[in-house]
Amino acid sequence: MTLLSATEIAVHAGAQRLVDPVSLALNPGEPLVILGETGSGKSLLAQAIMGTLPESLRATGQVRIGKHELRAGDRAAFRGLWGRQIAVLPQEPWLSLDPLMRAAPQVTEAHRLVAGRPAPEARLQAGADLAALGLEGAAARYPHQLSGGMAQRVAIAAARAGGAPIVVADEPTKGLDATRRDDVAALLLGALASGGGLMVITHDLALARRIGGRVIVLRDGAVVESGATAEVFARPTAAYTRDLIAADPENWPARAPQPDTTKAVLQVEDLAVSRGGHVLVEGLSLTLGAGRILGITGPSGCGKSSLGDALLGLVPPAQGQVHRAAGLAPTAFQKLYQDPVAAFPRTRTLGQTLRDVARLHRAPWDRIDTLLARLRLDPVLLTRRPGAVSGGELQRLALLRAMLARPRFLFADEPTSRLDPITQREVIGLLSDLTRTDGLAIALVSHDPVLIARTADDRRSLPMAHPAAVPLAEVQPVPA
Amino acid sequence: MRTAILSRPQPMGRIIGAAILAVIAGFALLGPVLVPGDPFAQSLMKSLAGPDAAAPFGHDHLGRSLFHRLAYALRLSPLIALAAVATAASAGLVLGMLAALRGGWTERVLVILADALLALPGLLMVLIVLAIMPGTATGFWAGLSLVLWVEFFRLTRATARATLASPAVQAAKLLGFGWSYIFRTHLWPEIAPLMLTAAAFGTATAIMAIAALGFVSVGMRAPTPELGLMMVELLPYWREAPMALLTPVIATFALLLGLTLLAGGHKP
Amino acid sequence: MNILLSRLVQAATVAVLVGAATFAMMRNLPGDAAWRIAAGRYGYDNVNAAAAEAVRSELGLGGHWFPAFLQWMGNLFRLDFGVSLVSGQPVIHEIAHQLGASLWLALAAVGLSLLIGPPLGIIAGLRPGGLFDRALLVVSTALKAVPQFLMALILILLLSVQLGWLPAAGYGQPRHFILPALALALGLAAVNARITRDAMASVAAQPFYAFAQWKGLSRTQVLWRHGLRNVSVPLLTYLGLQFVLLVEGVVVIESIVGWPGIGHALVHAVFARDVPMVQGTALLLGLGFVLVNALIDLLAARIDPRGVQ
Repeated sequence: MTLLSATEIAVHAGAQRLVDPVSLALNPGEPLVILGETGSGKSLLAQAIMGTLPESLRATGQVRIGKHELRAGDRAAFRGLWGRQIAVLPQEPWLSLDPLMRAAPQVTEAHRLVAGRPAPEARLQAGADLAALGLEGAAARYPHQLSGGMAQRVAIAAARAGGAPIVVADEPTKGLDATRRDDVAALLLGALASGGGLMVITHDLALARRIGGRVIVLRDGAVVESGATAEVFARPTAAYTRDLIAADPENWPARAPQPDTTKAVLQVEDLAVSRGGHVLVEGLSLTLGAGRILGITGPSGCGKSSLGDALLGLVPPAQGQVHRAAGLAPTAFQKLYQDPVAAFPRTRTLGQTLRDVARLHRAPWDRIDTLLARLRLDPVLLTRRPGAVSGGELQRLALLRAMLARPRFLFADEPTSRLDPITQREVIGLLSDLTRTDGLAIALVSHDPVLIARTADDRRSLPMAHPAAVPLAEVQPVPA
Repeated sequence: MRTAILSRPQPMGRIIGAAILAVIAGFALLGPVLVPGDPFAQSLMKSLAGPDAAAPFGHDHLGRSLFHRLAYALRLSPLIALAAVATAASAGLVLGMLAALRGGWTERVLVILADALLALPGLLMVLIVLAIMPGTATGFWAGLSLVLWVEFFRLTRATARATLASPAVQAAKLLGFGWSYIFRTHLWPEIAPLMLTAAAFGTATAIMAIAALGFVSVGMRAPTPELGLMMVELLPYWREAPMALLTPVIATFALLLGLTLLAGGHKP
Repeated sequence: MNILLSRLVQAATVAVLVGAATFAMMRNLPGDAAWRIAAGRYGYDNVNAAAAEAVRSELGLGGHWFPAFLQWMGNLFRLDFGVSLVSGQPVIHEIAHQLGASLWLALAAVGLSLLIGPPLGIIAGLRPGGLFDRALLVVSTALKAVPQFLMALILILLLSVQLGWLPAAGYGQPRHFILPALALALGLAAVNARITRDAMASVAAQPFYAFAQWKGLSRTQVLWRHGLRNVSVPLLTYLGLQFVLLVEGVVVIESIVGWPGIGHALVHAVFARDVPMVQGTALLLGLGFVLVNALIDLLAARIDPRGVQ
């Protein structure tokens, strides 16, 4: 018997339809994955089924949860089911815990107020839940004292305390390092053990593969393909699904090897980088030749960005030396940022900004047009401001801006971590092309070791830094 | 989504505020031109008399034209307030930029000074400066500038610090842009809207201070037409001539409401 | 620890500023300052040229300003404020007398404003953009445009002169409190309500607020357990900054209704150029701000552990 079934669920914003009618069913013991890129409507679909859509949107269709029959548009009817029938796991668990309440009471309150246990029993049960997830030490901590993984486990314990058999997880890997993916998958699959149901909404192909079960692929609010996850991944029928799977770094072809004999652009000897008095990187020596890509991996807070500042000469190294090749202008060393919106002046159009750069570097008048074509960008984008352009386009415009300065070295700091897989592949491909055509040397930072393995000529992995060296601003995702 | 959550300056409110201020400015500047008259001319015969052609708003207890006294009062305190705000904004902008750019002891000393001034009630500072400076109007200008620059300084410093640390400014520096370009394209567009809001609030604060001190008889001296002073002079005649007292009350409220609406949002 | 240190620095700077300002005021006293100060100490009947000369040399009024300034600041930091030039009483005694009356008025005003503002702000913040929210915006904007002295004037005209419900001035009975406290509280509440409304709206839009409901808690449970605590921190911080506004209001309102408090005394002292009294009261008000904010820092750090490591 199905735990949950949804019939002809659609989502509208006023007269505009954001999600076309979709029907789905969730069976005990068999996970369901809803896979799609940003803007595919996957989260809206899930929210419509759970009754958590924002008030400005309207859902239609029927939902059956256990014995309850509901109209998707009847928001109030879902309220009583939250925590009791459906456990909703939020995106970004860090932001989902009350910042002013310790971890244990956030679980205890659900046991007491939702499941109706007496206070002492609720406390004992919450302690047992946390211990079962390996969180004995975390009970008395505040959320800001928890790591991302710990916060996620606390959120899972809190969401499930009400005794709901169905778990719905929306982008459970968002804001977490890729290395945590397997832990997350194992945790979620644990929810199935006692005959419960699991629905996972994600853009992360590797997570989808690990979850297994059945998959629904969404694009632009419509179902592209559905079936058993293993089958869809092995033999995708829709062209979009094929592109999506091909865009997974796992499936990228390896980069053609570059000669290691080129002239060095950057030489680093025994470099140490520190921030706030804590040493983040020590004893780093390397040589980066023209046309080569150096891949740098490591967990959040390991000092990747600080290393970039040292390589670019923005901060003096704590120890050791950074040599730039003789005769290069200071502006031959450029950077790509993780969040391209923050890297452009907010109030100017992109065209104004790019023309300023072109004028400063005395680039010929058609250089912007040439680069637009090479980076496959529409000139109409130049009339817009940074906030009104998609992430992938803006990152390519940032690359264009850097190219106007005729760089020899580019520090690319997680340039694709906020992009969808297909766009990510495109941007990384462009970077790789530029090393061949323009002899650009790139230091590419990523948290994804597979991406680095497929892209880089040289690899460095930075160890986890001392926890105290991680500034809160970097660890805690900023509310969007 | 965020725009709905925070009470952002609503363009509608700002337009209404600007309109109210335009009407008041028009009255203060053009009123005495259209109906010539002397705000100081007394005529005990006309004490508390109603409106006539030469005095459209009636007369006060000394028989002076309320129309002309109000028009001059609406020139006096806004003028002092604007002068003080202009001084305070320039000083705050320069010192705030200096603190954000230089850092170190320059910044520390300025922040300590600003924090200490923040702890002292503005009215008190204005009162003390009034006691030191020779003229009342210059005393108000100096005292209010001394009180108001702190707000501009804090805004400029906080915004400049955040902007200077942003990836956008780092990218501009890497691309080889100089400080003047960075100020024009990155810093000023962030600071300017905040300065406008702070200037509107600052003007309102200054006008309130002048009126409040006038009302408790330690500000402008009689027979100067000033809003607070007019109210306290007319208060004893409330029963005989309520409209005479309400004239400066309504004008003060309208002036401050216009400035509050123009500022939009609330004081940070 | 760091917070308290910076508050100490702030307190010391406040003292220096007050000392410098009152020193400048003393040097600019009209007429023979030494004579006036001597008169303040010994009474106008007992003052003579010798006494004035003694004061002149003690305060260095005749000589270069710099040693006199050091002398002045030295007295200030020893908390030796001297005697009032008007009453001849030690400043400390005068202030101790008046402080109580002002404190009660201030507390009554803050208490009343907290009863009015935050509850309305929470109701508005739970439905941002709703009818109640927009109505509250209009009312609070209008109230903010009414300065405290004008509010007092309007309340006097309305409640005492027209309706005769309350005395316009006076001190000593509970009913004397209502009018001045209300005049102060309405302005404070207008801003309190906006601050609470913004804090509530932003808390209610946080993911943790939604998640608490998804856990199965009811709206009321979420508001009490997760909403109010998170709203209290910005409100508390704001109340500390509002202290200056409160003090300014107290100064003006006390002068209007003849309340025998520190604000009334301050205005009189400035009017009479009673420099020692100005210094004493100004220092008290400045240090009061620092003390209140230091206490609020500590309280906020207890509620919100994120700021302190």
